[in-house]
Amino acid sequence: MWGNGERSVKRGWRAASAALMAGLLVAAAGCSGGGQPSGGSTEVSGATITVALGAPPPAAALKDFTAQTGIKVKWVNLDWDSLQTKISAAATAKTYFADATDVDWSRVGQLGKLGWFYPMDSYLDTKSMAADMPQLASFTTGGHVVGIPYDASFMVTTVNTKLLKQAGVSGTPKTIDEYTADLQKVKSSGTVKYPLNIPFSAAEGLSTYWYETTGAFGGTVLDKQQKPAFTSPDSAGYKAAQWMVNALKTGLVPPGNINVADSQGQQTLMAKGQVASTFSDYSGNVGTLYNIKSSSSVVGDTQYIPTPGANGPAGNLSNPDGIGIPKQAKYPKAAAEFIKWFTSAQKQADFTGLNGTDKVYSGFTIPSRLSVVQQMTAKGNLDGGEELQAMLKTAQPVFPGGAPSWYPKFSNSVYTNLHAAATGSITVDAAMKAIADTANQAASGS
Amino acid sequence: MTFSRGVESSSQAVGQPGAAPSGGVTTVVVRRGRRRFEVLPYALVAPVMIFIIALALVPAVFTIVESFFTVNPLDPPTRFSGLANFVHIAHDKAVISSIGNTAFYMVVGVLLSTAMALAIAVVLQRPFRGRSLVIAVLILPWALPGVVEGILWTGIFDPNAGLINSLLTTLHLGGTGVLLGQSRLLTITLIELVQVWQITPLSVLLILATLQLIPDELYEAAEIDGCSPWRSFLAITFPLARPGIAVCMVQAVIATINIFDQPYILNGAADTGASLTMQTYFISFQNLDFGQGYALSLLITAVTLVISLGVVRAIYRKVEL
Amino acid sequence: MSPAWSARRRRPVRGGTSTVRRIGVVLIVLWSVIPIYWALKMSFQTEGDARAIPAQFFPIRPTLQNYARLLGSGSDVSGGIRQSTINIVIECALATIITILLATIAAYAFSRLHFKGKNIFFYAVLATMAFPPYTTLIPLYRIMSGFGLVNTYTGIVLVYVSGFLPLATWIMHNYFQSLPDGIEEAGLVDGARRLQVLWHLLLPLARPGIISTALITFLFAWGQFLFPLVLSSDLSTQPLTVVIAALQGRHDVPSTLMSAAGVLAIIIPALIALIFNRYIVNGLLTGSTR
Repeated sequence: MWGNGERSVKRGWRAASAALMAGLLVAAAGCSGGGQPSGGSTEVSGATITVALGAPPPAAALKDFTAQTGIKVKWVNLDWDSLQTKISAAATAKTYFADATDVDWSRVGQLGKLGWFYPMDSYLDTKSMAADMPQLASFTTGGHVVGIPYDASFMVTTVNTKLLKQAGVSGTPKTIDEYTADLQKVKSSGTVKYPLNIPFSAAEGLSTYWYETTGAFGGTVLDKQQKPAFTSPDSAGYKAAQWMVNALKTGLVPPGNINVADSQGQQTLMAKGQVASTFSDYSGNVGTLYNIKSSSSVVGDTQYIPTPGANGPAGNLSNPDGIGIPKQAKYPKAAAEFIKWFTSAQKQADFTGLNGTDKVYSGFTIPSRLSVVQQMTAKGNLDGGEELQAMLKTAQPVFPGGAPSWYPKFSNSVYTNLHAAATGSITVDAAMKAIADTANQAASGS
Repeated sequence: MTFSRGVESSSQAVGQPGAAPSGGVTTVVVRRGRRRFEVLPYALVAPVMIFIIALALVPAVFTIVESFFTVNPLDPPTRFSGLANFVHIAHDKAVISSIGNTAFYMVVGVLLSTAMALAIAVVLQRPFRGRSLVIAVLILPWALPGVVEGILWTGIFDPNAGLINSLLTTLHLGGTGVLLGQSRLLTITLIELVQVWQITPLSVLLILATLQLIPDELYEAAEIDGCSPWRSFLAITFPLARPGIAVCMVQAVIATINIFDQPYILNGAADTGASLTMQTYFISFQNLDFGQGYALSLLITAVTLVISLGVVRAIYRKVEL
Repeated sequence: MSPAWSARRRRPVRGGTSTVRRIGVVLIVLWSVIPIYWALKMSFQTEGDARAIPAQFFPIRPTLQNYARLLGSGSDVSGGIRQSTINIVIECALATIITILLATIAAYAFSRLHFKGKNIFFYAVLATMAFPPYTTLIPLYRIMSGFGLVNTYTGIVLVYVSGFLPLATWIMHNYFQSLPDGIEEAGLVDGARRLQVLWHLLLPLARPGIISTALITFLFAWGQFLFPLVLSSDLSTQPLTVVIAALQGRHDVPSTLMSAAGVLAIIIPALIALIFNRYIVNGLLTGSTR
């Protein structure tokens, strides 16, 4: 390679000068500064749109869509964390990266305030959709809907009925007290050593668990004015945190769980029959995890129960993902067409397998449309359909005033402080105060 | 220096022109007769300089400038705010508690990975049957994608189903269930061990590259002079490997001070393991407060530069064979 | 002359007994391999078995289903794995070649020529290593996007090269500096001749250094995630690392599938290390130079 002769010298120079030109080009770009003006095309038929989301639906379905509308779809599959990083980068650099992408409920306030998503109400009749899509409420900010939920996700309580029966627990607990007593019975009977799964790792799953538990105690973490509502010891949020930490201290929760994240606990504990219940579980899990033979040893043993509350069954909290159109989109109108199709009752029925297994969208949990959930339940296609249908109907947004624009900061404070309280390095009281401080500062700061 | 004492005579005996190593002395190589301006050196460094200016220094200037501005798309417009970002960071509890962790990661990580790399490089310095295979195996930890590394170590440390806990239980050593997250010292030690596992292959390659320069004759001569292996390590290997060790240590300083994946995946955002770079990520990419994020980055950069310079001063010596 | 040969005929002179070395080699291999073994083990298990309590120390019921899904034709992820493997090889190879080329000629100038501002240039190059990745990500993204280089090989390679040049230049600088001064003495010192000295005398001598640097650069590029994540938009440029991460669902981590992907992802770097090591096996001052 380093042989003799003029040829290689010349080749080296050519490469060097090419690189030099490339470098100059970029240097010039650096000076001129990036950030193109937006203003997408209204082109619909003939457009090729990029959709950045999780795993793609069946290729045949996308082909169908192209045949119907003339819009080609380029699907980009990214995991949730990577998507959020890309969204942050693109939103800040104000650059295009997709025509339609994920809108997570928790970032609605933040990205809404940025004006990063087109209001969907200018493309779709969101008002009439709301009745069939209860979770649309989680995507409303400043009076506009910025994302359409494509499947339903909310927090539910799951129990392993086989383990409960073994421990001699009969009947479904209606209140938190009954639920706690049942778990204690499971523990004292020796059926399992630690009956409850709470993921105490300092990550988003812990925040979500606390929101749901707070809901069960009959309150919300932030009030309508987005002020902390958990500082007083008799507030729902305070009691929920206390209950969670006590559950760990009294041996209801495996001690190792201070370092277990949400999905990890579901996959290694709940799905392996190591615990009898997860108080705040994800709504699809019975069907997509616990009843899957290759991943679970509790097939057929788990079920959803109405969330035990302070004085009887409580509501469930929504944590859905939606799909929306970034302001930098090249073909917003075509993207809107796609979203309309993608979230339609017809497609959701296809994706869940109501119209044949070849149309199933793997990874699709529960339809976001009540009407489709009803169809599924009627046909017996949904594990725990009856329960889920009722829960979906009443599922509430985590924040009644909408997710605040400072949500990420708030959540970070929630999970780090709750984790610290679980490890015993601070008290629950101190944790609540620290989280409230973060919320108050963030609210006044921006 | 150290080296000259032991081996000078023998290296001359072997008859190497210019082999007498010059230790810390910076020798001026090129004759100073000609003073006319030469284009060639500039032409040779130009491509690198253009890349560095366009794609490293220009972005860096952006961030340095913006660290003195409020740059937050949630709080427009971008405006000058003096030292406000720095003041804010200095009062951020999460940042403050991350400083100690990061310092620990850096000190332990740099010393451990360099010591191990030096030992491994010495073992691999001389050819033997299967050496290439050993080096190929050695680099596997570095080649494993970060996300898989995370899954792997989560699997090993999992308090319920993990390798370590299962081993402890199987051997009746009492699987407590808690490895990470409870004791701060244990947590950061284990996290740093994972990072050392990951970065040591690179350190070995960096040191090995310089060891390849050392002529065998030196060792032969040293052996004839009756040097023990340890003495020839001190007299030959270490002084001549100094440039490589310096590069390796600086690289380790950069890697450890910027540790992110290992604590974030294995211990979440908990203050028992959080690092400064994690805080940068939270501030910039989650809170979208880029001004503050840049301010913190700037401080990390400054500390990195100072420590790296210190390492180079202490370790680097020009070596000339 | 064959490097392997010249290596073998020299008797081992130091490092003491081969027993010590043998123990060292065993320890090195164990240290590197035990965690990798755990990934390998998981890759042959179902998700349920991989999470069994207590852990199974080897696959009791081995399965190839993970590899079948990653590689089998017509599976949902195999197309992405294949294309992103091509992408990562192209990106890493281009970045390595350009980095080595530019770093070598610059390192030659920095180490063996004298010119005004040399130290400032050199330290400026090295100093850029200290920038944390999150510092330069957004400005770089803006620059690349301003030039339409997002989601192109060119864009990703340019960023890699700018990121790896400082280290490569530094290693090569040290290498050139260590070479005896006498080498250039024979040559005249006008520009053209100097390049020929570089080409004919120094480069062959520096070959082990160049190969080492290339290997290091390649490995660095192989591990990249954040920059290619942001600078790529779809499968036409996404490297394997990004596509492997995308195997995760929102609420489930397919750890065995991803372990299998990880095992696949280390094969190419391991092969490259195996092949290239042949060229860095022995000390350079033996043989051809004198």
